[in-house]
Amino acid sequence: MASWKLEGSGKLTFDRVDRVVVGIVEGAVSVVGTDGEPTLEVLELAGSPLRVRHEDGVLTVDYERPPRPGLLSWLSGWGRRYRAVLSLAVPRDCRVELRVISASLMVSGLRAPVRARTVSGEITLAGLGGTADAETISGSIEASGVSGDLSAGTVSGDLTVAEGGGSVRAHTVSGAIALDLEASGDRDIQLSSVSGDLTVRLPGISDLQVQLQSTSGQVASAFDELALDRTPGRHAAEGRLGAGTGRLRATSTSGHVALLRRAPETQA
Amino acid sequence: MSPVFSHGRLRLYLLKLLDESPRHGYDVIRLLEDRFMGLYSPSPGTIYPRLQRLEAEGLVTPSQEGGRKVYQITDAGREELAGRRAELDELEAEISGSVHGLAREVRDEVRGSVRDLKEELKQAAREMRRQQRHENRSRRHGHDEHHRWDWRDEGFDGRVQEFLDRTERAMRRVQLTEAQLRECAAILDEAFERIRQTLKTPDEQRHDH
Repeated sequence: MASWKLEGSGKLTFDRVDRVVVGIVEGAVSVVGTDGEPTLEVLELAGSPLRVRHEDGVLTVDYERPPRPGLLSWLSGWGRRYRAVLSLAVPRDCRVELRVISASLMVSGLRAPVRARTVSGEITLAGLGGTADAETISGSIEASGVSGDLSAGTVSGDLTVAEGGGSVRAHTVSGAIALDLEASGDRDIQLSSVSGDLTVRLPGISDLQVQLQSTSGQVASAFDELALDRTPGRHAAEGRLGAGTGRLRATSTSGHVALLRRAPETQA
Repeated sequence: MSPVFSHGRLRLYLLKLLDESPRHGYDVIRLLEDRFMGLYSPSPGTIYPRLQRLEAEGLVTPSQEGGRKVYQITDAGREELAGRRAELDELEAEISGSVHGLAREVRDEVRGSVRDLKEELKQAAREMRRQQRHENRSRRHGHDEHHRWDWRDEGFDGRVQEFLDRTERAMRRVQLTEAQLRECAAILDEAFERIRQTLKTPDEQRHDH
């Protein structure tokens, strides 16, 4: 096993990496897919040294003595002693697992599964072909061109998906969810929130079995095929679009639910 | 309407691509994909509005070529590009020099375009809800005199929310001074007072005189 202890900014390269695991506290982590040599760049490092281990294709970046967040250590500002900004370039079929506390995360250009967890940081996902699993408490999640299945959860952060291609399973408490979906087939979209608004935009021609519901929010749909049901305590819209091969279900307690129709792409 | 061009770097790069040669929208997308090393490919939905915006500002001009629209840089476009050459060079060096530079560029571009989209969807949903309330009201009551107007049905809650969003965005753009804050607070008080006056019942109005 190869092992390094980094005390400051620097750069390391590796021969083979097919899985990356990063566990840091504060700062930022970016992982991008590349055809070149796997590389770790540490741009900023403050406080405790970073531990980098490389064994059998698995690259791990973390701290030897991870912080134990207790009330006293929190008050004494432990977060500032564990700040790191790092970027990784890895092969496109490398699996990625990021677990951080307040760092922002960015993963892009990969085909393999990605897991990203942060408490208060933002998560940005772009151009992913494998499954993506993102979770944050107060940060927002922004995804563009994720063609694999996406599973996302936040408490107060917003989730926005541009050019969504696969199935989506997402839950928020007060965060809003907005999805712009590409032509859909056999996909399963399940969204839920407590008070956050749910907005989905579909291409004009879609094949989905749709079920929208809100207890006290307004439910609105741009598709005439859906039957609206407005009774106190239950606003709903249900019906089948096209062949109905996929499924879309959006449920909120007090948030509004809206289904929009995308105008055909205007070719400039 | 989406607030296109909240991020200026892509604009600069679009100008550079069109300075090299006149190009069709799809060529631009393909070249941008190369620029991001295949990490991210901007959709037509994010590129075409930007090209149209450049056109509206007179920095590029379109021409028809075999049924396709081809964009060409104008003198004004070249001027802007020349004025920001140093910025562009710095950007290029940053992207090609390190994983970090490239990652940051992809992240900024994705965040910018996703936030534009978020705003666009939010506004479209709000508009659809407003229309739906309006239609429901018309269907229920027709336009008779005894109609009970409801501020929610008329989309006022949405307008208030929109007002808050817009105010917050405007305030974030500047370094607020105490004087400005006081002035804004006075405007709010005045607006409320006028609304209160407007909402007085005929009895109350008579009483005032």
